[in-house]
Amino acid sequence: MPLEVGREGGGEDDERVPLFGTWARIYAAVVLTNVAFMVLIHLFDRWKH
Amino acid sequence: MTTADWTVLTIYLLGIVAFGLWVGRGNRRIDDFFLAGRQMRWWAVGLSVMATQISAITFVGTTGQAYGDGMRFLVVYFGLPFAMVILCVTLVPFFYRARVFTAYEYLERRFDARTRTLTSLLFLLSRGLSVGVTLYAPSLVLSVILGWSEQATILLMGGSTVAYVIYGGNRSVIWTDVVQMGIIWLGIFLCLGVAVAQLPRGFGFRDALALADATGRLTVMDPSPSLTQPYTLWGGLVGGLFLMLSYFGCDQSQVQRYLSGSSLTQSRLSLLFNAFLKVPMQFVILLTGVLVFVFYHFHETPLLWNSVELARLEREAPAGELRELKERFRLAHEARREAAHAFAGSRDQADTERYLAAQRGLEAARAEAVSLVERTRPGKTYNDTNYIFPWYIVSTLRGGLAGLVIAVIFAAAMSSLSGEFNSLATATMVDFYKRYVRPDGGDAHELFVSRVLTAGWGLFACVIALEAGRLGSAIEVVNRFGSYFYGSILGVFGLAVLTPRASSLGAFLGLFTGMLAVALVSRLTAIHFLWYNVVGALTVFAAGLLVTAAMSRWARPAPGGGGP
Repeated sequence: MPLEVGREGGGEDDERVPLFGTWARIYAAVVLTNVAFMVLIHLFDRWKH
Repeated sequence: MTTADWTVLTIYLLGIVAFGLWVGRGNRRIDDFFLAGRQMRWWAVGLSVMATQISAITFVGTTGQAYGDGMRFLVVYFGLPFAMVILCVTLVPFFYRARVFTAYEYLERRFDARTRTLTSLLFLLSRGLSVGVTLYAPSLVLSVILGWSEQATILLMGGSTVAYVIYGGNRSVIWTDVVQMGIIWLGIFLCLGVAVAQLPRGFGFRDALALADATGRLTVMDPSPSLTQPYTLWGGLVGGLFLMLSYFGCDQSQVQRYLSGSSLTQSRLSLLFNAFLKVPMQFVILLTGVLVFVFYHFHETPLLWNSVELARLEREAPAGELRELKERFRLAHEARREAAHAFAGSRDQADTERYLAAQRGLEAARAEAVSLVERTRPGKTYNDTNYIFPWYIVSTLRGGLAGLVIAVIFAAAMSSLSGEFNSLATATMVDFYKRYVRPDGGDAHELFVSRVLTAGWGLFACVIALEAGRLGSAIEVVNRFGSYFYGSILGVFGLAVLTPRASSLGAFLGLFTGMLAVALVSRLTAIHFLWYNVVGALTVFAAGLLVTAAMSRWARPAPGGGGP
């Protein structure tokens, strides 16, 4: 007794990506920010306080 | 706790329940009740996702762990931002466009009913029992801090949460999570500020960091390729990635949060919001724990952090032995304080070694106290990591601030519990009741059953929490069993969205193969648990493809044969 497949796709993702404009840019920003955090944490780790 | 503290705590509890009831009015259908009418904005959903992940034990346990072990735990979160990007590209659009209520519902569309039912059942089994622990662990800590019975804290926390979730459903969950997350952030920065402000005169923030660094507590990055060592950089990046993919992609308590977004864009943004903030947030929480460690160099430190156990020790341990141990601990603490001042003044090799020797002396005295507790309570191990931060709050903060931070612990617990009650009711209603019992009962009936199920799961959590002391080892077994299939379910979703040809039989048999592989790895090897999800997911994926290939080869007619 499979459930009826509901309305799929169509128009849900037509909003503008805020600030970054495109999904590719925002994904790149997430990855780069995380890499930057890891580098900063590495420097914090190595720093002779 | 002063009158001001009790006032703040009471205002929080009454206020959050009233707010939850107020924002949750107007539910007419299960779309409203379970998915907040699919109308939520990204920032509210994002804060709710964050609040659901931070349980009270994550909050007090993480600070306690940083106190004792340092900041190495941070690496677990390094995989999270990458996981969020992968989910935004893969699973989230599939879930959103299929207009499903549960992640498992999607598996029926892609594979078959048995795969959906099995994965949903595994979720109910593991999350249902772990919600009891989510309630029990902070209730135990708060009962010690507030001087109440465990039963009272369990019923207060469980009862107040379930009250607004029954009435308001997911809309109440999300909006109370937003408020609770604000309170949690306020509490974190408050504790960090107080720990820094109360360092002794002439001992600055840099001295505090240097002191923590000397004991290895600021070490985060361990590049070891070892699979058995806990919290290595690779374990965090790869194991943490798979853990976060499993949690945010396949666990209904999180999936349901972002399915409430008003569009696919809003759902994706809510996850990316977490991707940006989670690592810095955990850094601040762990740093707070490290600064509490430094703080107790210069302030009186108890022999044990659990005051109830300390009082029991006073009554039951040999008086002479305990007195001698307390004196040794006091002298070790004094020696460490002086060595810390000397270290901060010179930072030379001799003073560093003197300080580290004093630290080892204090740790040895504490280890003796722990050993004394365990000798007077045969068969039970003692661990008071979760009591360090609450002790710090109650003994240090004044003027209602302790009440505020205790409210933070309540907020962290309630924000996780509310999401879990709501998601357990959703999976039971949508994957079982509507699927097998009554597919079309009408809006009023479905809403009524959803509320009954929410109440049922709330009651179940309270019963498990009340019995947790007796069920201790059984719960541990179930939690261990849960870790066997977390990654395996991720493997099934991987087959669903990454391989258009994977068959339902492949996914079903692959799921069992993955669980078996993780069980064998955990039984027969010393591989750290962070890698279990990697093993489970990859085994399911490979086994699912192999079964699919074998079945299609078997089903294909032999060359030259076939019909006319």
